[in-house]
Amino acid sequence: MTATDVQKPPAPAAPARWRAAPGIRLIWLHWRSRRVPAAVLALAVSGGVLCAALRLQWTFNSGHFAQELPMIVEGGAAGIIVITTHSPFGEPERTATRWLPYLRLVTALAMTGVAIGILQLGVIGASLDGGILVMARNVLGITGIGLLTSLVTGGLLAWILPMGYVAFAEYALLQSWTNPWTWPVRPPADRGAWLCACAVFAVGLAAFTIRGARTRLADDD
Amino acid sequence: MTAVALSRSRPVPVLRIEIRRSVVLWAVPLLLGLFYFDSFRTAAGFPPVWTVRSSVITSHMIADFGPFAAGLAAWVASREGRRKTGDLVATTVRPAWARQASALGATLFWLLLAFLAGVAAIYVDTALSATWGGPPLWPVAVGVVELVTFAVIGFTAGALFPGRFTAPLAAIGTFLLAEIGFHGAESVRPGTSTYGLLSPASNVPLGDVGVFYHVAPDLAIAQVMFMGGLTVALLGVLTLAPVVRVSYRGLLAAVSSVGRWLCVAGVALLAAGVAAAATAFSLAGTAKMGVSGWEIPALHGAASDQPIPYTPVCAGTSFKVCVHPAFSGFLSSANTALQPVAAEIAGLPGAPVRAGQVPSGDGILGSQGMNFSGVPKPGLSGAPAVYRFISDDGLAPLWGSSAGVDNAGWRAGFQQELVTAFVAGPPQAGPGPDTFVTQPTAAQQAVITALMIRAGSAAPQFGEDMTNGAPSAGATPAQIAAAAQRFASLSPSARHAWLAANLPALRAGTVTLAQLP
Repeated sequence: MTATDVQKPPAPAAPARWRAAPGIRLIWLHWRSRRVPAAVLALAVSGGVLCAALRLQWTFNSGHFAQELPMIVEGGAAGIIVITTHSPFGEPERTATRWLPYLRLVTALAMTGVAIGILQLGVIGASLDGGILVMARNVLGITGIGLLTSLVTGGLLAWILPMGYVAFAEYALLQSWTNPWTWPVRPPADRGAWLCACAVFAVGLAAFTIRGARTRLADDD
Repeated sequence: MTAVALSRSRPVPVLRIEIRRSVVLWAVPLLLGLFYFDSFRTAAGFPPVWTVRSSVITSHMIADFGPFAAGLAAWVASREGRRKTGDLVATTVRPAWARQASALGATLFWLLLAFLAGVAAIYVDTALSATWGGPPLWPVAVGVVELVTFAVIGFTAGALFPGRFTAPLAAIGTFLLAEIGFHGAESVRPGTSTYGLLSPASNVPLGDVGVFYHVAPDLAIAQVMFMGGLTVALLGVLTLAPVVRVSYRGLLAAVSSVGRWLCVAGVALLAAGVAAAATAFSLAGTAKMGVSGWEIPALHGAASDQPIPYTPVCAGTSFKVCVHPAFSGFLSSANTALQPVAAEIAGLPGAPVRAGQVPSGDGILGSQGMNFSGVPKPGLSGAPAVYRFISDDGLAPLWGSSAGVDNAGWRAGFQQELVTAFVAGPPQAGPGPDTFVTQPTAAQQAVITALMIRAGSAAPQFGEDMTNGAPSAGATPAQIAAAAQRFASLSPSARHAWLAANLPALRAGTVTLAQLP
């Protein structure tokens, strides 16, 4: 008996539809490995919670406190996004393909857009303090913090710093801080807050695209 | 000694390893940073009263630590499921509950250590500035139990649903629960929001809570019972987790694999926890506001309603200004503010000979229709007259700053309250269904302004109420200011003589602006 005898038969070829669009298949496989479908489901749950909170009066309608609960949900959405940065394959994946940075970029951008869209769907017909501008700014900025965190802690623990920022922003909200880097407390059209949030997101996205989330630490806890 | 015997007889090294490698250590700097910015600075801005500053433990520290406790505990609990090593560790001699207990114990060790270090920091800072009382322990007990509950909620979620999203979702979920509880606590009224009463968050307390009356521990007991009950019930669920995961057909096999006595213990924990939480929930539903805070009849001790004896600290000679010893740091400022206006009205009929601090609870709660007999009311009363002020109106602006720093705006407001009480009498409620406090008449406003100017303060600001297009006070602010200047320019003896002769009519509101000299 030789090794050839015990070899498994080769894997079946990809279906014809995938052959027509290998790029799409690559993206889909990448998303599945990052649990993107589950993340979209979790984002949908977050949107539902935000919708319920606003409609069932779980939070304040106006004043400083009105932004607190939406901010937690937005921070949670950012936490869910950065969890998808974790790769189950580790180092071997990095050496196997040159498309990985592009896949990371597409995934992070798509997830951020989906998060903003789902949360906006959740607040249709309800009064969200600050509107979609503040919500989008918060998701962008806090996701940027999470992407930067993933470079240090790995994707699975990258939710910690975004949650810490949200907790700090709650305090800044009550104390009426006005620094641009506390963008959740600033008015919707505040230019400094937008610059800060977008800068953090851009830096986080660029660093994550180039380096990817750390692959070792999260599994060495 | 075999490996089996070694493993069974030495559980502590496993715990030690878990503690050394705990993921919570990574989050401790973040937790301490949050604690400093949120909890510590907030507490430092409160008056140096033990009960007031300790309220930060349950209202701010839990919000800072709780979500991370839940998220990190979920992360630790989902370790075996995440790494798909469940079958591997199931073959070891150590039972599942022992492994989980070690992991949970290590997580709680660091969380509680950081939490108690924060409590110690707040209490040490309070001890350095407080002049009366001692550290209350109930808030610490409630905070510890609540933190453990948050961690056990996360741990249970992580053990039952291991996955990469469990940890952040547990953190967000508990964060939302705390936030919704805060919303409930902000608008809590007797019998309307039991969840708000049981939630860790709370309103900013009155500045002198626990100073004149003990804070009844009733609500703290109910909170500990509720959160403790939840914790015990979740531990029961964790114990029974291997059983509840299988289908009915495999139930007996699962029971035998877990152990019959362990199953019994799990069911007992679950039942006891649910019973305790349900009891606490029903008890909190009977809470009503009393002079010592929230009272639960089944848990309330009458001793809490008795005033705490104290000897006030006073300053001044002919006109004494007295405060509770807990507020002695503010005595100098209060005395400096009140002496000039007291000198302006000294010797007039009904002029106060003393100003003293009284509990503020009655004033605030009285506006909500809750008055308690036997509690001194703020304002001017008695013979000889005594001016009574409350800390929330009189001294609150000084909180967070050093007691020796005077603020011109605060001083003017503090003086205005005394002069208004003397000239215009007690506040009068306006007519109609919407209760409001009527403004002093134009003549009263002019006299108050003149006395304030003579005492060296800025002219006070009165609201410009309008009725049917005309000023409610009977004159425009410009006319009142002109009359005040005219009255203030009189010689002290002339002003004193006029006030001595016309004060009863002025208080009754029958003196017009034109009748002022």
